[in-house]
Amino acid sequence: MFNTKAVFSFLFLLVLNFNLSQDSVPNTTIEDFNKKSISTDLVLEDGKYYVLSFWATWCIPCINELDAIADVYKEWTDNGIEVIAISTDDSRTKKRVRPMVNGKNWNFKILLDENHDFKRALNIDGIPHTIVTKGKQIISRRVGYSPGEEVDLLDSIIEYQSNNE
Amino acid sequence: MNRLILFFLILYCWSSTSQQKNNLYGSFFSNGVYYGESEDKDFNEDLRTNNYLKLDYLIGEKWNFDLQIESYAIDGRLQNFSENLNGTFISTFSANYKINNLKFSVGSIYDQFGSGLIFRTWEDRQLGINNSIWGIRTTYSTEKFNFTGLAGKQKKGKINSDGAVYGFDAELMLFENLDNYKSLNLGLSYVGRSEPEIEYSFNNLTSAISARVDYNSESFYINYEHVSKSKDGIVQVGSVNENFIKNGKADLVNFGLFKSGFGLDINLRRMENMSFFSDRNEFGGDYLEATLNYLPALTKQHDYLLTNINVYVAQPNVSFQDPELMKSGEIGYQVDLYYNFKKGSPLGGKYGTKLSFNSALWYNLGGNYDYNNQNYNTSFLDFDEKYFSEQSIELSKKFNNKYNATLLYVNRYYNKRFVEEKSGEVNSQIIVLDNTLKLGKKKSLKFDIQHLSNDDDQKNWFGYGIEYNLNYNISVYHSNIINYGNVNEDKPSYYSTGISYSKNSTRLSTSFGKERGGYNCYGGICKYIPEFKGISFSISTTF
Repeated sequence: MFNTKAVFSFLFLLVLNFNLSQDSVPNTTIEDFNKKSISTDLVLEDGKYYVLSFWATWCIPCINELDAIADVYKEWTDNGIEVIAISTDDSRTKKRVRPMVNGKNWNFKILLDENHDFKRALNIDGIPHTIVTKGKQIISRRVGYSPGEEVDLLDSIIEYQSNNE
Repeated sequence: MNRLILFFLILYCWSSTSQQKNNLYGSFFSNGVYYGESEDKDFNEDLRTNNYLKLDYLIGEKWNFDLQIESYAIDGRLQNFSENLNGTFISTFSANYKINNLKFSVGSIYDQFGSGLIFRTWEDRQLGINNSIWGIRTTYSTEKFNFTGLAGKQKKGKINSDGAVYGFDAELMLFENLDNYKSLNLGLSYVGRSEPEIEYSFNNLTSAISARVDYNSESFYINYEHVSKSKDGIVQVGSVNENFIKNGKADLVNFGLFKSGFGLDINLRRMENMSFFSDRNEFGGDYLEATLNYLPALTKQHDYLLTNINVYVAQPNVSFQDPELMKSGEIGYQVDLYYNFKKGSPLGGKYGTKLSFNSALWYNLGGNYDYNNQNYNTSFLDFDEKYFSEQSIELSKKFNNKYNATLLYVNRYYNKRFVEEKSGEVNSQIIVLDNTLKLGKKKSLKFDIQHLSNDDDQKNWFGYGIEYNLNYNISVYHSNIINYGNVNEDKPSYYSTGISYSKNSTRLSTSFGKERGGYNCYGGICKYIPEFKGISFSISTTF
């Protein structure tokens, strides 16, 4: 279809010329439960710490992670950390999001990424995928979830806060 | 080709001299299998890998570009992927320019109109779906009004479809009251598809329209979508039957109630002749290529090995197999209930107990079917043969800081004859007990046992899975399912033993095992995979 060698050569040049890392959250649109389109730039306030947790109603490790965080969420908010759970449920399972969130008593902000525009912009392949940010600046990323890992995640953010403030 | 290289060079020079912030980042994903033995003999002793390199390049706030290179390397693609995927090639590319509320895109376009009943383009690497539109798109977006217009041809592996596709989507928020969370939204979409190089005795242009209304409040929501698709030839045995021309329609109602600790959701859907392809002859293809719309099964999406045997696949098509097997779509419902027994209550105990319940029931459309004259007429609320029903109940409980467990029970009826167009009906009951035990600060053990009781089909199954997390990075696992009731073979078993390593956004995993053949489903869309024995591995990372 294309001259692959030429394309690869160009990409190599490009890589040499630029800072190669995704250091900030790209601006795209995402929906809330009222179907309102929200710019991701407006969701993340400068200087505030966020955990963006990409999940879905059918993903058991994602739900285990969010259940575990929900149990101790006050400790997170007391440390100035807000969790935003970004549902990647598509139209098959999107309808379950709000009943499940209420049924489970999660108190996080929930946003909907139904056709995966935000997930694609952040190059996320599988879920659970967790991104820690300060405003739009990406501090760290994790894939997968092991029981108890939420404690390590909180500790790592508190350590970052104490080293950088 | 030369134009593309020139474009890249201009982009390179421009970005090198630009004073704006530039950023290049991306991801790499590789999925490979060494097939020791496969039901599909062409794959025996082959090492096959699917590889995806995606790059995103931002210039300031206004421009961004993305590019995906795919390589189906060594002995070629994995066995459940289209023959249109071979070699190394640029799979998708797009250039996007954003100014104020306007966004212009040229290249590979992913989008969805409404719930996807008339249009959805997306990528699913597990299923090998990438049905993006190669074309142009304009989007005007404010908080309360969105408009998208697009046109192009659809991607089919390395090539594009012959059919031309164009459409628009408009969504308007009529009102929103932030004090009581009330809002009302309206939506309208159109998609047109024609195959200009083929002549038909009927109108080559097929038009699909979707109209939607969506109401939300503090504790209640309801939405309704009506879809109408204009007359089109029914595809039978791989070709368009120009004497069997029907229109299509769909109605989807979804409503729910919720408050703290409680959630209820009810879905009702009726679909008639709703499959929609950019190339008509792709209907019935093995690899789900050139699909324009998204018609998933509205049933609970299961995660356990035995609950994924005989899962329902949505039935949107007209199919006249024989005078006893004629169908034109599906009608049915799905209900979900979630309830949290509070901490301190008799059922909640010290940490609370979470309950979820799901029920789904799907039928063929009732009406008059005429096999000899190849025709049918349906009634709006008439039910024919039952395709599928399922009731499931799941209880999750944390017993203490170290141990929690989930108990799942599923009762299922699956009409194999009407869903898969093979013989048989299956009544099954599945029970799963899934346990998680924390063994220290970073170590944990997960183990589940599963049983499937089944009087028909392949009889009873037993299964188990063990996963040991050595720390937050390394995990080893073993799973096995045994069809101990099978009367045709001597207790066939399907097993997998593997290890995975995760660090930051990188994950590596490898496993050895024997995979059960059958439908492989993600997000309600299923593809058939032949049984195989081999070594699998995957790598995913972002940079």
